[in-house]
Amino acid sequence: MIPPAVRARRTRWARTARWSGWLYVLPALLFYAVFVLRPLALTFQYSLYHWNGIGVARWAGLQNYVTVFTDSDLLRIIGNAFVLIVFFSFIPVGLGLLVATVVRRIAGGPFGTVVRTVLFLPQVIPLVAAGIAWSWLLSSTGLVNQVLRGVGLGGLARAWLGEFDTALPAVGVIGAWVLLGLCTILLVTGMSKIDPALYEAARIDGAGPVREFLAVTLPGLRQEIGVCLTVTVIAALASFDIVYISTGGGPGLQTTVPGLEIYRLAFAQRQVGLASALGVVLMALVLLCVLPIQRLTREDRG
Amino acid sequence: MKLSRREQLTGRLFLVALVLVTLLPFVSMLSAALQPRGSVPAGLAWPSDPQWGNFVDAFTVANMSALLRSSLLIVAGVVPVSVLVATMAGFGLGHLRVPGGRFVFLLFLLGLTLPFEAVITPIYYQVRDLGLLNTRWAIILPLIGLYMPFAVFWMRAHFVNVPQEIADAARVDGSTTWQLFWRVQVPLARPAIASLTILLFLWTWNQFLLAIVLVDDPGKRTMAGALGAFQGQWGTDQVLLCAGSLLILTPVLVVFLVFQRHFIKALLQGSVKG
Amino acid sequence: MSGYTARRFSRRGMMLVVPLTAAAVVATACSAPGADQPSSGATSGSVSTQLGSEQITLEMYAETGFPLAKALTEEFTKQYPNVRFNVREDQFTVIVENAPRVLASDSAPDIIRLPTMVDLVKDGLLKNLDPYFTAYGWEKFPASQLVQLRVAEGGRPRGSGSLYGMGLGYSVTGVFYNKQLAQKVGMTQPPATVAEFEELLAKAKAAQVQPIMQFNKNTAGINFPHQALQNQFGDPAQIADWIFQKPGATFDTPAALKATQTIQRWAQAGYFPKDANAIDYTAMNGQFQQGGGLFMFNGDWESANLDKAMAGNVGFFLFPGEAPGAKHVAMSAPNTFGVGAKAKHPDAAAFFLNWVHTNDKAREICVKVGGSSPGGPPDLTLPPVTEGTVLAETLRAAAQLGAENGAVDFTANATGAIFASAITPEMQKLVAGQQNPEGYVKAVQAEYEKELSR
Repeated sequence: MIPPAVRARRTRWARTARWSGWLYVLPALLFYAVFVLRPLALTFQYSLYHWNGIGVARWAGLQNYVTVFTDSDLLRIIGNAFVLIVFFSFIPVGLGLLVATVVRRIAGGPFGTVVRTVLFLPQVIPLVAAGIAWSWLLSSTGLVNQVLRGVGLGGLARAWLGEFDTALPAVGVIGAWVLLGLCTILLVTGMSKIDPALYEAARIDGAGPVREFLAVTLPGLRQEIGVCLTVTVIAALASFDIVYISTGGGPGLQTTVPGLEIYRLAFAQRQVGLASALGVVLMALVLLCVLPIQRLTREDRG
Repeated sequence: MKLSRREQLTGRLFLVALVLVTLLPFVSMLSAALQPRGSVPAGLAWPSDPQWGNFVDAFTVANMSALLRSSLLIVAGVVPVSVLVATMAGFGLGHLRVPGGRFVFLLFLLGLTLPFEAVITPIYYQVRDLGLLNTRWAIILPLIGLYMPFAVFWMRAHFVNVPQEIADAARVDGSTTWQLFWRVQVPLARPAIASLTILLFLWTWNQFLLAIVLVDDPGKRTMAGALGAFQGQWGTDQVLLCAGSLLILTPVLVVFLVFQRHFIKALLQGSVKG
Repeated sequence: MSGYTARRFSRRGMMLVVPLTAAAVVATACSAPGADQPSSGATSGSVSTQLGSEQITLEMYAETGFPLAKALTEEFTKQYPNVRFNVREDQFTVIVENAPRVLASDSAPDIIRLPTMVDLVKDGLLKNLDPYFTAYGWEKFPASQLVQLRVAEGGRPRGSGSLYGMGLGYSVTGVFYNKQLAQKVGMTQPPATVAEFEELLAKAKAAQVQPIMQFNKNTAGINFPHQALQNQFGDPAQIADWIFQKPGATFDTPAALKATQTIQRWAQAGYFPKDANAIDYTAMNGQFQQGGGLFMFNGDWESANLDKAMAGNVGFFLFPGEAPGAKHVAMSAPNTFGVGAKAKHPDAAAFFLNWVHTNDKAREICVKVGGSSPGGPPDLTLPPVTEGTVLAETLRAAAQLGAENGAVDFTANATGAIFASAITPEMQKLVAGQQNPEGYVKAVQAEYEKELSR
């Protein structure tokens, strides 16, 4: 039982604290408003103008958006980002499930630690470095072709990042390499939280490894898979560093992604309006892709 | 769980293969970095006469000491401020539950999935108008703002879960809100703060887009931005490029290996919540 | 694991946030962006040809892999110790991408290697050099030397109007060949016609020698042979009009189409490296120096490097015409450097540019390090070079081209983005079999019109 005097003091205290609490929120809000909300509003504004970034802007209405949705090059650039989702998201998550299963079952002790540490390395280094390392690996004289020649498949050897058919998948492989470790370890952590009794029950029901995986593991990992997909889909749609470094968007427009195109349009070609419209579209696409994933994983078990 | 020997073996082999594939890009860079300068390296081949001097060359050419200093200055400008400001906001929103806080919180969430590319153009003009282009402030100030959605979200999640009784006890003592925050809540939030610090350090160190757009002098960029400049200049000298890249990678790798457990934990939590 | 991620986007919240953001947009939309920007780049009233003795540092932005700029700055500092240089270097593609942004910033370089100048002039990012032209008496230079560096008011057309750049050397392009490989395929003298050149390509292919070593990554190096052909197949004046953005000029000409068809044929015949789209400029030079190809389309800026790397084993010729004895036409352009409109030391920058053209030592460096004619007033003699070198050959070719009045600019310089947005991606497609000649020509013209309509 709290004495009434204390309670009264507490209520009064709480009321003033609640309002003075704004002092704690304001600095963060200020940084956020100045360096995110204002630019965000400006992006919308720029997107309605033709502006070269220097002179006076001309009102464009929705013309820049029309361009984004009708220009075949820009559509293809947006399409490239979606192709990258296959490599940045589906492969790391799919392969990650397999690896996580193996890691959970056999890799305990120091061996497990080494595996986890190494798989995590690509997540820690700058994406720029990943791009440089893989550009070298995939170059005409790089290791990949060396191996192919070594095993008598020299006919397959090629400049992987320079040819039309292979450039985008090759960029995708770099992303998969970066994101596999993160997905794997997220999934391992998730698996460790699944009640062992569920596995026991499945076994008693006579479930094989595949059914066990489908009936127990997969549903139990719904949330983690949702997280993996969210993170990797954003990484794919908003990719910039890897492409900038490894291909510069070529050959042709084969590997140009929206992020790179925004940068080029805004700073090299000085079409700030169009760049901003593409930025708004990119932002919307990210939300369109991420929201359904959130919905899918919404009913969590906790 | 009992496993057959065969499963043990194939599983281990699979993991070893995976580890090798993960490491291959690094090894292949090292082998190229040790070839004689001016040669065109071919594939993975251990050089008969490893040119460790290439690293010295790269160190000088890349002006590594200046780059390190610059990255550290940027990290020092971004991380402590971001963490402090976000912790305060998280406290205000999650614990004090300021009036209208729910709306403010949603405003922050709006920024969570925001691709930096979408706002980089106005940020450029804004930074230019502030007269800060080509200074480290050009990276520091926008980054703090851009980190706010995640950082506030993260710290609020922590404070929401702190039992109210702790605060009550402090109030009975007659402490002010600031004392409650600083003496009681912050020490309790240490794990959350540590993880946030690690994440922000890593993201700042590896920040590329802001660096290449807002700062031209590689000596005033982040490590990743400097690496981009290095590639822009020496991209066609494969040997030097590999040596320089490895050098630029080293600091973050060392930090990672030293604090690896914290890193992995932070990154995992970070992605789950972010 | 909690449901934070799920709770992030509650519908009620979004309904609140969206209209608020919209309100913010409306609020900021009241004034058009850039409305209050002061216009820059106006001609400043008075200029000085005095360097002064003040301690200054000139900011220079130059191209990686070409030691000329740095060599000149070092010599200049030796002669004028109060002037230092801070030289930033990037690959050409990077400069192309950075130039507008760098020039627009407050720390704009004093002296910058220019990719193409029309858009930069239009945006007021370059210093108008007319006052220096008068002050230093550059009217004594042959007018043809600087014609490509002139831009009319508003950025169009080029080739007349005010002066916006100077050359650190004036280059000529053509074909370098590897003498040993030439012998191997039975080439005894440079080809006299396009047909003869094609015969040599076929012979090389038959002898399992890579006929042409050419880069096509990042920027389209195959545009060199393309324009070399285009120059011969039609009236070069047409090309020049197009490059200078004269009204009504088009790229969609029979000459350009025929050139594109020829390039397609060469690509299909394997005359270019199979991985050309993955070979960048430096890799091409490296491979050519190591005997990786019989021919290389390039410019005299590489002469000094080639003489060093393959002494005595390299020759040069201007690309031949269709008929024997036809007048030579070749791409030839200044190694263009301009002065930023926001440069801190424009007078010193102009002093440096004048010095490069007129100082004996500087002219010698232009030739020996840069490999190109130093330009300047015609009464100054050319620095001597060693006979038998490819440097001597390219200098002779430059003189010959000048005498025949056959210089044209690069098509890649026609507009600010034509190279990056059309020529490079379309050429990469063309040689990879993803684009046909008609489509190529139309795509380049379409981008050209798109940019001009802005």
